[in-house]
Amino acid sequence: MTLLSVKNLRVTFDTETGPVQAVRGVSFDLGRERLGIVGESGSGKTMTGRAVLRLIRAPGRIEADAMTFEGQDLMAASEPDLRALRGRRIAMVMQDPKFSLNPVMKVGAQLMEGLRQRDHATRAEARAKAIAALEAVQIRDPERVMEAYPHELSGGMGQRVMIAMMLIPDPDLLIADEPTSALDVTVQAEVLNILDDLVKTRGMGLIFISHDLRLVARFCDRVLVMYKGKIVEELAAKDLLQAKHPYTQGLLNCLPRIGGSRGALPALDRNADWAR
Amino acid sequence: MALIEIENLSVTFTTAGRKVRAVQDVSFKVEAQQSFGLVGESGSGKSTILRAICGMAPITGGQIRIDGKPLPTPRGRAFAAQVQMVFQDPYASLHPRHTVDRVLSEPLAIHGQGGSDAKIEQALIDVGLPPAFRFRYPHQLSGGQRQRVAIARALMLQPQILLLDEPTSALDASVQAETLNLLSRLRAERGLTFVMVSHDLAVIDHMCDRVLVMQNGQAVEELSREALASAAMTTPYARALFAASADRMLEG
Repeated sequence: MTLLSVKNLRVTFDTETGPVQAVRGVSFDLGRERLGIVGESGSGKTMTGRAVLRLIRAPGRIEADAMTFEGQDLMAASEPDLRALRGRRIAMVMQDPKFSLNPVMKVGAQLMEGLRQRDHATRAEARAKAIAALEAVQIRDPERVMEAYPHELSGGMGQRVMIAMMLIPDPDLLIADEPTSALDVTVQAEVLNILDDLVKTRGMGLIFISHDLRLVARFCDRVLVMYKGKIVEELAAKDLLQAKHPYTQGLLNCLPRIGGSRGALPALDRNADWAR
Repeated sequence: MALIEIENLSVTFTTAGRKVRAVQDVSFKVEAQQSFGLVGESGSGKSTILRAICGMAPITGGQIRIDGKPLPTPRGRAFAAQVQMVFQDPYASLHPRHTVDRVLSEPLAIHGQGGSDAKIEQALIDVGLPPAFRFRYPHQLSGGQRQRVAIARALMLQPQILLLDEPTSALDASVQAETLNLLSRLRAERGLTFVMVSHDLAVIDHMCDRVLVMQNGQAVEELSREALASAAMTTPYARALFAASADRMLEG
């Protein structure tokens, strides 16, 4: 069953030097599965994620032949319609907890804000739900975290708080934009396992945006590789090593490996025909 | 005799009456022209060691010797001419309102060295940037280009030792490859000694001859490159770190 369908999505920014297309004709369908979007900075992967929620401010423009979420036309949706969708049906986890949590508000208050405003929960209900959400992301002492300010938490804890916050309304689709790039490898693995469990047990759809091809391959069912706003290759994660496109191969090979050769790492050839 | 000797180094920060022991009793030696890695999670004290070498952290115990001589406090010009540091985030470590030219000429001016015109052009060429970039501001450069400027700045005084604090963790995988290649080439050409900090064991393995695994401010285990590649670590923490990194390697 298709959860999200995107046809020929384009995101354009009008600048002094003329229009710049950040996303150039991206199409994909998403069921209740884990879809990875991979690319370098500037490849349009984040813009694609944000465009699904129509979270692109002027002078940016979103155009698409069709963009539907469970049959609802996202392009024609009004602001109030979108407000009802955002968070409740489609949630987004941002890259850096340092910039995405409110620094002058306690974590507990931030977690409860949505429950109180949106679901009109009582204080006690909201608190119970917030603590349950923190436990779901394996925070061991949720009572302490509720009373902490974001700067008192480590990066991994902050990221878990963000995931907890996004999962409280039980969305059908989670868009995770580089949720682990600010974290250490050991913490990264924990956060990914938590995400993985939640996606499996709740049957959510997941769009996982990252620049780390190997990570995405391990974690997702299907991978879209983006370059300069276009999808250059789409493949099942298990077939990644058989990738045909030189850009995908380049991304795969440029990472050093433990015990690998110490010669120069292969760099991407950006002058090839496909890069134009 | 080793070029850098660190003996029972301890660093303790005092904040709001609370003592935080960021580095506890860490010792290691780096031979000349070797590349030494420090690896561990955030908060393990690896960057603090580099900062302590540069005199930017409160040393509360132990000794740091370079060329057999204890370091003076404050470090002074002779130290700066011998040891330079490259920081993690090229978006934060370059002055946003200084041109590349000004960034690169400053160390020469401080040390009273002339001929900055030719030296700056050569420095840019050495790190693989076109000389035309000389009068650009940092916001006109990409992340990888900025890190190249930061490396060029560190090399302006022809130092013997480079301290690299996560030099590629803010960069894309493909740009990381280019930056690591640049660092390897410069080390080979100039016979530099590296002390490199990273949380990525694969990057450390690619760049370093020996690596010290750290956790909570303490040295856990020192490994040679061969021991790392053959997974011959003996402590559970080093093994866990290796497993988390090896997990990300695809077979094939």
